[in-house]
Amino acid sequence: MNVFDDLAAAWPLVANLESFLALAGGITIGVIAGAIPGMSATMAVALTLPFTFAMQPITGILLLLGVYKGGIFGGSIPAILIKTPGTPASSATILDGYPMAEKGQAGKALDMALYASCTADMISNLSLIMFAGWLASFALSFGPPEFFTLILFSLTIIAGVSGDSLIKGLLAAVFGLLLATVGLDLVYGTNRFTFNDANLMGGLNFIAVLIGLFAIPEILAYVWRPRSDKGQIRALGEQHVTFAEYRRCFRTIIRGSFIGVFLGSIPGIGAAPAAFLSYSEARRRSPNKKNFGKGELEGVAASESGNNGVAGATLIPLLALGVPGDVITAIIIGAFMVHGLQPGPMMFVANANIIYALFMGLIISSVLLFFIGGVAIRMFRYIVDVPKSVLMPAVLILCVFGVYAVNNNVFDVIVMFLMGWLGYFMLRNDIPAAPFLIAFILGPLLEDNFRQAMLMSNGAADILFRSWITWFFWGATFLTIAALVRTGLRQRSEAAEALRATTSE
Amino acid sequence: MMKDPGRLRRAAVLGLATLAAGMSAFAVSDARAEYPDRPITLVIAYGPGGATDISGRSLAVPLGKIIPQPLLVVNRAGAGGATGAVSVRDAAPDGYTMMVSRVGTHTVNPAMKATLPYKLAEFEEVGVYEINPVACAVKEDSDIKSMDDLVAKIKAAPKTVSYSSSGVGSLLHIAGAMAVREFGVENPVEELIHIPLKGGGAAATAVLAGTATFICTNSSALASFVANKQLRPLMVTTKEPVPGFEAPTAADLGKPNLHQLVGWSGIGAPKGLPAEVTEKWRGWMKEATSDKDFLETMTKRGSVIQLMSPEESAAFIQKQYELFTKLVNDLGMRVEG
Repeated sequence: MNVFDDLAAAWPLVANLESFLALAGGITIGVIAGAIPGMSATMAVALTLPFTFAMQPITGILLLLGVYKGGIFGGSIPAILIKTPGTPASSATILDGYPMAEKGQAGKALDMALYASCTADMISNLSLIMFAGWLASFALSFGPPEFFTLILFSLTIIAGVSGDSLIKGLLAAVFGLLLATVGLDLVYGTNRFTFNDANLMGGLNFIAVLIGLFAIPEILAYVWRPRSDKGQIRALGEQHVTFAEYRRCFRTIIRGSFIGVFLGSIPGIGAAPAAFLSYSEARRRSPNKKNFGKGELEGVAASESGNNGVAGATLIPLLALGVPGDVITAIIIGAFMVHGLQPGPMMFVANANIIYALFMGLIISSVLLFFIGGVAIRMFRYIVDVPKSVLMPAVLILCVFGVYAVNNNVFDVIVMFLMGWLGYFMLRNDIPAAPFLIAFILGPLLEDNFRQAMLMSNGAADILFRSWITWFFWGATFLTIAALVRTGLRQRSEAAEALRATTSE
Repeated sequence: MMKDPGRLRRAAVLGLATLAAGMSAFAVSDARAEYPDRPITLVIAYGPGGATDISGRSLAVPLGKIIPQPLLVVNRAGAGGATGAVSVRDAAPDGYTMMVSRVGTHTVNPAMKATLPYKLAEFEEVGVYEINPVACAVKEDSDIKSMDDLVAKIKAAPKTVSYSSSGVGSLLHIAGAMAVREFGVENPVEELIHIPLKGGGAAATAVLAGTATFICTNSSALASFVANKQLRPLMVTTKEPVPGFEAPTAADLGKPNLHQLVGWSGIGAPKGLPAEVTEKWRGWMKEATSDKDFLETMTKRGSVIQLMSPEESAAFIQKQYELFTKLVNDLGMRVEG
C-alpha cells in the first residue's frame, strides 16, 4: 500500500461524527481546564483517560489529543488576563501578555495568542507527518552529554528575559537554582534542605512556585495600595489583531514553531523551555527589542508559538519510537495500550490506517482549536471588565484551590504564599521573575544530566565533547555569551562617551 | 381461654416494646458500626499517568460502584511516594483514608532508604491485587543475547556495563543489581554503573538511546519496545512466561529466588484498621477485581490480576521486604541521604 491507499483507508476512521465530537469536546475541556490556574493540561488528560477506555481507539486518542492541545492554548488566557499562568507552558506569555492587558489591549493579546497557537500547532502537526522518522532518530542521539550542552545553551535565555539589568536577572536565577535544589537529589537520593520533613523531600511543587511567583505578588501589591488603580479602568480591549500585525510577527511565529518542534521531539524537555527560548530569540532579533516585557505583541506571538509548537512534536518520539516525551504523552501511551496498540516503528506497518487517521485528526484539531479558542476568548475577555476589588479576591481563591488540587496538599498552598512574598519583594525591587523560573526549571535538568554523563564515563570529562551535537551547543553557548559581553561593553562605552560629551560642554 | 385479655394485651405491648427497643438498639449500633457512612479517600502516592495511578484509578471504577459511599481518588506525589505514604500513615486508621500501596512505597523504599520518614510496619494491607512481572532487556542490536552473556561481559570488564533506573531507591535500582547477582556477579554495586533517570519512561529510553546497557523493570513498561523489536528481553522473573516476551523465565533458568522480584499494587491503610473494615474491603476487592472491564484493561497493559487475602498480602509484602533488606545490607546499597 502506498501513502494514498493508507490515507483512503484512514479517512472513514476520522470522517465521522464521533471523531469530530471527540476532538471538539476534547479541545473544549482542554481550554477550560487550561484556563483554570493549577488545573494543568496533564491533569485534564489524566482525568479524561478513563472515559476513553470504552470508545473506539481512534476516537479515544483524538479526545485526549484534543484535551492536550486545548489545554496548552487555554493556559494563555489567564496568563494574559490575570497574570496567572494556567499551565506551566504559558508562563512566558505573561511577560508581554499581561502588560498588554494592563494597557487595555487584552483582546489583541488574546487574539495573537490564538493565531500564534494555531499556526504553530499546524506547523507542528505537519512536521510530525513529514519528518517524524528523521526527527525521531535525531532525538535518540540525545544522551545526557548532549542534554547537558543543550540546557547549558538554554540558560543563556536568562540574559534575554532579564529586562534592563543583567545583574538582577542573574540574582533571580541564583534564587531559582537554590530553591530548585530542595528535595531528594536524583543520583544518590541525598536530602537537601529538607529538615526531615516529608513534604520538603518532594521538593517545591512547580505549579505552586509558578503561581506564587506571578499571581500572588499582584494581589499583594493591590492589597498594599488598593486605590492605586482607581479611575484607571482597563478597557475591554475590543481591538483585534490586524493582518499587518500578524504578518509582522509571522517570522517570529515560524521561528517559535520550529523551536517548539525541535525541543518537543526530544523527550524530556517540555513546553515551558520552548516558549522561553522562542521568546528570547524573538527579542534578540526584533527591531522593537526595547519594548519586550512592556507589552510587545511579538512577545506574545513568540511564546505562544513556542509552546504550541511542542504539542504535535511530542507525538514524534511517541509514534516513531514508542517513547513518551513528557507526562502527557506517557498517559496517551496508556490509552494506546489499553486498545491493544503498541506505538513504535511497527505500528506504521501493522496499524498504518490508525496512524494516518491520527494525522488527519490532528490537522482537523488545529482548525477546531481556532474556532473553539475564538469562542473561549470572547467569553473570557469580559474578565478584564471586572473591577479589581472583585477580581483580586476571586483570583486569590482560584489560586488557593488550584494549587491545593495539584497534590491535595496544604503544604503546596503554604509554598505558594511564601513564594508570593518572595515574588512581591522581587517586584518591588525590579528583580525580574522570569530568570528565576527558568533557572528553577533548567537547573535540575542541568545537574542531573551532568551527573548522569559523569556516571557513564566514570568521571571523565571528555564525554561532554563526544558528538557533533555537543560541539554545536558548546559553540552556540560561547557565541551567545561573546555577543552578550560585546553588547554590554559597547553600551558601557556609549554611556561613557555620552557622559564625556555632557561634561565637556 | 381468654380469661384476662388485659394481660395478654399487656404482654403483647411489652413484647412489641421489647422488640422495638431491640430493633432500635440494633439500628443504633448498626448506624455506628456500619462502615462506611461517609466518603472514603484513596491516596495515590505517585503523579497522574504513572503505573500506580492508572492501576489505582482503574480499580476505583468498579470499586466506586460497589462501595455505598463515594470513593475519592487523590494524587499526593513527591519524594518517590514518601509524601503520600506519610500522609496516610498520619491519618486515623478508621478506613476512611486508604492508599494504593505499591512495591516502591512499601518494600523498596523502606528497605533502601535510611532516612525514610516511615516504616513498613506502620501500614496494614487489605489486599494485593496486581502483580507486574519484571523483565530484563537490552537493545535489540546488542551482542548480549542472554543473561549469561550479560554476566560474562560484566565480569570481563567491570565498570563498563551500565543499567538505568527510575531513580535511587526504585524497584529498577534494586532489580538490576539483584538480577545479575543471582547469575554470579558478586558485587554488582562495584562492577556495574547505575544510571538513575527521572521516571520509568526515561529509563527505558536510555537503553534505547545507548545511554545504558540494560534495564530490569516491569514488563508492561517494556512491552511496546519488545513488540517493536527495539529492545530484546533476556529474562522474565515470573514462573510463567509473559505473553509477548520470548525470553526464558527465572524458573527456566533455575533461579527461583528471582520470583520474589516483581512489582505489585494493593490497597493499604494505616496500622490498626478495625477488623470489620478489613472484612468489608475483602469483599469489595473480591468483587471489584472480578469486574470484566477492569480485568480486560489491566491484562492488556501486561498486569497479572490476582487478589490476595489480607493475610496473604501481609506475608507476601513482608517476605519481599526481608529479601530486599538482606540484599541491600549484603551489597551496601542503602541510601543514607
